[in-house]
Amino acid sequence: MATGPGLESLVDQTISVITNDGRNIVGILKGFDQATNIILDESHERVYSTKEGVQLLVLGLYIIRGDNISVIGELDEELDAHLDLSNLRAHPLKAVIH
Amino acid sequence: MVHSLLQLPLSLLKTAQGHPMLVELKNGETYNGHLVNCDTWMNIHLREVICTSKDGDRFWRMPECYIRGNTIKYLRVPDEVIDKVQEETKTRSDRKPPGVGRGRGRGREDGAGGRAPKGVGRGLDDGGAKGLGGGRGKGGPGGKPGGSRGPVRGRG
Amino acid sequence: MSGRKETVLDLAKFVDKGVQVKLTGGRQVTGTLKGYDQLLNLVLDEAREFLRDPEDPMKTTDQTRQLGLIVCRGTAVMLVSPTDGTDEIANPFVQPDGA
Repeated sequence: MATGPGLESLVDQTISVITNDGRNIVGILKGFDQATNIILDESHERVYSTKEGVQLLVLGLYIIRGDNISVIGELDEELDAHLDLSNLRAHPLKAVIH
Repeated sequence: MVHSLLQLPLSLLKTAQGHPMLVELKNGETYNGHLVNCDTWMNIHLREVICTSKDGDRFWRMPECYIRGNTIKYLRVPDEVIDKVQEETKTRSDRKPPGVGRGRGRGREDGAGGRAPKGVGRGLDDGGAKGLGGGRGKGGPGGKPGGSRGPVRGRG
Repeated sequence: MSGRKETVLDLAKFVDKGVQVKLTGGRQVTGTLKGYDQLLNLVLDEAREFLRDPEDPMKTTDQTRQLGLIVCRGTAVMLVSPTDGTDEIANPFVQPDGA
C-alpha cells in the first residue's frame, strides 16, 4: 500500500494521539487519509494535571485534522488497563509553537 | 489486509451532512451547527450556528457560516454517523468484486477518495444535538468518565 | 465531475449584503460584500475592522475602525458569515455542574 504513514495496521485499534495544542486523545482509529486526517471512534481526552488525577472527557466520534496532530501511537491496552489514571499526576503538555 | 471498515475522514464528514456537529478552529473558537455541505478541502458550510469564543465566555448565534478547512482543528460528529458510513460501504462493497477492499482511491474528485459514497445527503437527527454537551453514547473506556463536556473547555 | 468547482458556499447570495469575515491572524472585519472570486478573495465596501484587545490580540473588542473599500485576500479568509441574524447571545449551553 503506497500510503505514507502506515496507519493501516492500526485501524480498528485503540490509539493515542497528541495534538498540536497539547491534548491527549485516545480512541479507536476508524480511518485516515493522505493528509493524516483521522477518524477516532469512542474517543476520550485525558486531561493531565499536577493537582489531581487524570480527568477523562468523553468525546465520542471525532475527526482530527492532520494539521493538528503531533503524534499517533498504538495504545497497549493491557498496560493501559493497569494504569491508575485517577492517581496519576502529570504536567499538561504545552501547545506546539509554530 | 482486510480492513473493509476503513473510512476516509472526508467520507465520514460527507455522511455527516445534515447532522449537528462541533467544529473547533485552530484559534480555539468553536462552532456548533448543522453541516450543510463540505468539500475535499474540508471547507464546511454550517447552518444555525453557535459560535463560542476561545475562552468560552462569549457566544454568538449566526444563521450560517462558511469555514475554511485549513483552519479546523477537529470536528466532533454524532456517534451514529459512523454506522451510516459503514452501512453504506457495506452495501457498496457488496456490489464490488472481491479484493477491492480499500484501494487506490486517492482521487481528489468529489468529497473523498475512490470509495467515497457519493451523494450521501441524508436525514438527521441526533438527539443530543446542539451543544454536544454531554457524554454521548458509548461512554468512555470502562464507562468511567461522567464527563459532560461543555462546548468549550478553557484550556491554558 | 461535479465535485471540483461547486463551492461549498455560494457567495452570490451575500452580494450587497453585510458579511462578517474572520481572517487568519485574528483580524475581523464586516462590510457589504461587493464581489468575490473562486479563491475567496472578497471585495467589501464600507468595511469596518473590529479593534483588538491590546492585551490579547486574538480577542476582538467592540470598537471598530473604518476601512472603506477593501479586498480581503482569499488565502487569509478563515470564516465568512452573514451579519444579518448574527448576534451575541448569552451562554446557550447548560453548564456542567460544579463550577
